[in-house]
Amino acid sequence: MKKKVLATILVLTLALTLLAGCGKTSTTAASSATAAPAAEEAQEPSNELFIGVAQDFDSLDPHHATAAGTKEVLFNVFEGLMKPTSEGELVPAVASDVSVSDDGLTYTFTLRQGVKFHNGDTVDMQDVVFSIERNRVAADGGAALIPALAVIEDLSYDDTTLTLQLSEPSLELLSYLTLAIIPADYDEQETAPVGTGPFKFVSRAAQDNMVLERFEDYWGTPAKLDKVTFRIIENVEGLIMGLQSGALDLVMHMTSTQTSQLSEKDFHVEVGSMNLVQALYLNNAVAPFDDVRVRQALCYGVDKQGIIDLAFDGYGIPLGTSMFPSFGKYYDESLTDYYPHDVEKAKALLAEAGYPNGFDMTISVPSNYQPHVDTAEVIKEQLKEIGVNVTILPVEWGVWLSDVYGAREYQSTITGLTSDNMTARKLLERFGSQIGNNFTNYSNSEYDEILAKAVSSTSDEEQTALYRQLEHNLTENAANVYIQDMADLVAVRNGVEGLTFYPLYVLDVSTLYWAA
Amino acid sequence: MKKQKLNGYLVAGILITALLLLLTVYGAIHTPYSPTAYTGAKFEAPSAAHLFGTDKLGRDIFSRVLKGMGTTLSVALATVAIGAVAGTAVGAATGYFGGLVDDALMRINDALTAFPSILMALLVISLLGPEHKYSLILALGIVFIPSFARVTRTAFASLRDVNYITSARLMGAGNLRILLVHLLPNTGRVLLPALTIGFNNAVLAEASMSFLRITPLETSLGYMLSEAQGMLSAAPWYALSTGIVIALLVFGVGLIGEGLQQRNKEA
Amino acid sequence: MKYTLKRIGLLLITMLLVSFLTFLAFSLVSGDPAQTKLGTEATPERLAALRHEWGLDQPFFVRYFRWLAGFFSGNLGVSYHYSKPVWDLIASKVEVTLCMCLLSFVIITLVSIPLGIWSYRWVGGPFDWLRTAFNQLCMAVPPFFTGMLVSYGFGIVLRVFVPGDVPDLHTQFGAAVKHLFFAAVCIAIPRIAMTIRMMRSTVISEMNKSYVRTAISRGNDRHAVLTKHVLKNSLVSTITFLGQTMAEIIGGSIVVEQVFGIPGLGRFLVASIGYRDYPVVQTIVVILAFWVVLVGTIADLLNQHIDPRLRLGGKT
Repeated sequence: MKKKVLATILVLTLALTLLAGCGKTSTTAASSATAAPAAEEAQEPSNELFIGVAQDFDSLDPHHATAAGTKEVLFNVFEGLMKPTSEGELVPAVASDVSVSDDGLTYTFTLRQGVKFHNGDTVDMQDVVFSIERNRVAADGGAALIPALAVIEDLSYDDTTLTLQLSEPSLELLSYLTLAIIPADYDEQETAPVGTGPFKFVSRAAQDNMVLERFEDYWGTPAKLDKVTFRIIENVEGLIMGLQSGALDLVMHMTSTQTSQLSEKDFHVEVGSMNLVQALYLNNAVAPFDDVRVRQALCYGVDKQGIIDLAFDGYGIPLGTSMFPSFGKYYDESLTDYYPHDVEKAKALLAEAGYPNGFDMTISVPSNYQPHVDTAEVIKEQLKEIGVNVTILPVEWGVWLSDVYGAREYQSTITGLTSDNMTARKLLERFGSQIGNNFTNYSNSEYDEILAKAVSSTSDEEQTALYRQLEHNLTENAANVYIQDMADLVAVRNGVEGLTFYPLYVLDVSTLYWAA
Repeated sequence: MKKQKLNGYLVAGILITALLLLLTVYGAIHTPYSPTAYTGAKFEAPSAAHLFGTDKLGRDIFSRVLKGMGTTLSVALATVAIGAVAGTAVGAATGYFGGLVDDALMRINDALTAFPSILMALLVISLLGPEHKYSLILALGIVFIPSFARVTRTAFASLRDVNYITSARLMGAGNLRILLVHLLPNTGRVLLPALTIGFNNAVLAEASMSFLRITPLETSLGYMLSEAQGMLSAAPWYALSTGIVIALLVFGVGLIGEGLQQRNKEA
Repeated sequence: MKYTLKRIGLLLITMLLVSFLTFLAFSLVSGDPAQTKLGTEATPERLAALRHEWGLDQPFFVRYFRWLAGFFSGNLGVSYHYSKPVWDLIASKVEVTLCMCLLSFVIITLVSIPLGIWSYRWVGGPFDWLRTAFNQLCMAVPPFFTGMLVSYGFGIVLRVFVPGDVPDLHTQFGAAVKHLFFAAVCIAIPRIAMTIRMMRSTVISEMNKSYVRTAISRGNDRHAVLTKHVLKNSLVSTITFLGQTMAEIIGGSIVVEQVFGIPGLGRFLVASIGYRDYPVVQTIVVILAFWVVLVGTIADLLNQHIDPRLRLGGKT
């Protein structure tokens, strides 16, 4: 009996060692198969690039995609009549030329000849009109994808020119016409997108990867890389490891803590700007934030530069209003130091507002985004000094969207707001009291008046001045506690060059290349 | 009954746990620094001033660990308590009565096992509101019911028809009495290891939840460990100190469980 | 036969139950799929349009029965987030996770059963405390932490596999299994420790039962008694425990998949819950329920074979 047990154990152990042994041998054999290309990449670059992204893409239909991370990448696959440059200008793309009448009511586009879709078809006017109408006209029972296109009153065209007649002047129209031009008779955009951009879609596996290849028939400057694979890795440490292991060559949107862990021998870090307004957004409708003095006290109590130094290693541009430097003429730098860090002044304002001993408040912060969480933790400490006791409520993203952003059930929150189509309007419009996505409940009659004037203004100069007035209004009334335009740290493998930053949330892959 | 003597495991387990409990109590009253305040340079290695060093915001890790133990301990204990009490009740009912009750409850049990704990956590938080920091306890407690139910069910079922129970029933003892007086004490043998494993799992489950950032409890050890993994090479002492404290906590409780079992054996 | 039918019935009931619970949970959880999809771009009009498109403006029971009808006719619905049929999305994920969990289960069984039996022999030995301590330690480390260490050690330092680059299971089977092996080990380590501990304590308590003492006092060999009676009797709880382990490692795989970047079911589930992608979550949860019941059934069948007292509802 005893022997039998021993024998059983022996067999089991043997099987185990065998298994382990098998694992080992197949391990080495297989590793030379898989690890080798990765190693080669590091030394002798093939013309392929692996990019790590932290969130999965959503719909690949450019008109239905909503996630910033998806648009960031689809930028390489699609183009509109107009296209943004890295300087923030709009240049004709699928159109070859555009002219605007003096009254600003008639736009005439000339179609660029011989632009090809990735499926080989040539872009014709039907495709252009289809693409615009798809966004302008509401689907049955639904809403238009781009409500701002409602200003197009009449649309007429022949084979080469498209004429848009507007009901009122719109200085933002060209920005909206960066919308993707897609084939009219193709209905698989969701799964196999076809556009005119420098890269064409090859394949995609949910929660895994997406592969793009250079489009050989691109009308403009061709891309330099043959192939780009985006790998989806939600885990931050996983992204760092992917870089270290050779699985990834480039990762955007990192923090300084993360990039500091990469060896300088293999990687360099390029610093751009996220082009967003990170702020402690206050619910202006709930006490005590309905009192301007309390809001101002918080502005004096928060030390922006302190946050940037402590939580962001000094990367980031302090902001004082809902506008960031990439917007050039709209951005008013003088507002940044409107509320210098001043504990005494903050305390005095609180006392005046009836809170001599401070008060308790909560900050709801999206729990999946560490930089905002870190910011909240620093603010919590800073506000202690003016007697304000902060409780941080980490909120899951879906809950944040519906409860905080949607239902506006919160006291204060930290997030970053962007403008995805390079219009200043998008950043400022949301503080109008009648606007649907005014989640801060900011309500100021003067603001509403200026906003109405700015939106319908025909002169660029006048509009710029009005937008700047809006910024002043937000700052003077301390609508929110503005913090910074966060830095965008990009980890790039040495040897990869050509990274271009845009004033938009996009990654232009077409300029990237492996230096010989 | 002879006097039960202590054994090595029990002594070691009680010593470790008592030490950690003492530190937890100490941490609840006083910490060397505020666990959230910026107290020195970032990423400082352990020193006399900062026993466990500092993190990326220059916070004193030792103070954070002290606070974190309290959170983690209370979450784990409460989770196990909910899971064990409810689970044993379900296990008793299904194992002892069998038949339809068994089928019905075990179906719910299976359904709960398959139900994602993340969804459960979100559900409880949505129902109670995010300001209830300890909704995680309730969520994890519910998630833990099935495993306790399954373990105790097997024990109750195998005892259901043994002679002394049958005779107790013949003598007119009610079901409740049989369950509580005759059967429950006999399930100790499976319940005890289940409890220590449960405590272990609860600590790990909380850590995983924090890792996935579903319901982070700012001050728990699990949250700190997940935070620490983002700075593994910049501040290895952060991960190390939190990791070791978690391990010690589970270790101490595990040893006590081990010791109790040994004592039962000797009794 | 009757038993099989009953089991299939129970399986269906459980799956129904879990699908209903999930459906219910989603109508209670904060967060709205349309809002999650549109993010900060949402306008009331577009939200309403999307909700209408997905049928979310219908009453609860209508939606549930519509889903149920679809499910039984083989239509699992279309993912909100990906706008793709659910099954196309998850088929490959099921394979990956199943492969990893089976691998993990094999490791657990092959390591813990011999060690569990062995550990009995060590009881009271000079290094017993050391082994117990080591065992406890293995249980105490969170799998995601082991995962980090393993990917760092084997991936970055030793370069045995490439973290972040999971080979395809179909085209590079060997390489994929190797990658999954490391993840499986991380899942297995605490489970092995738990199984050993559980086995050890059952064996010990079984050894103290009167029948064993009697057998030994009658002059039977201690180890003969161990193999003949004790092991057989402790097998029931071991199988129950392993069955439960099998059901639970899928849950444990979520975090490990995250750390290793493995495109499996658990990671997909977490992401889909985050997107409030009901059709996907619904399907995954039903698959998990199927799995739990299946494993439970197998464990039950084995146990009844060993100990007929456990027969369901039996009054023998």
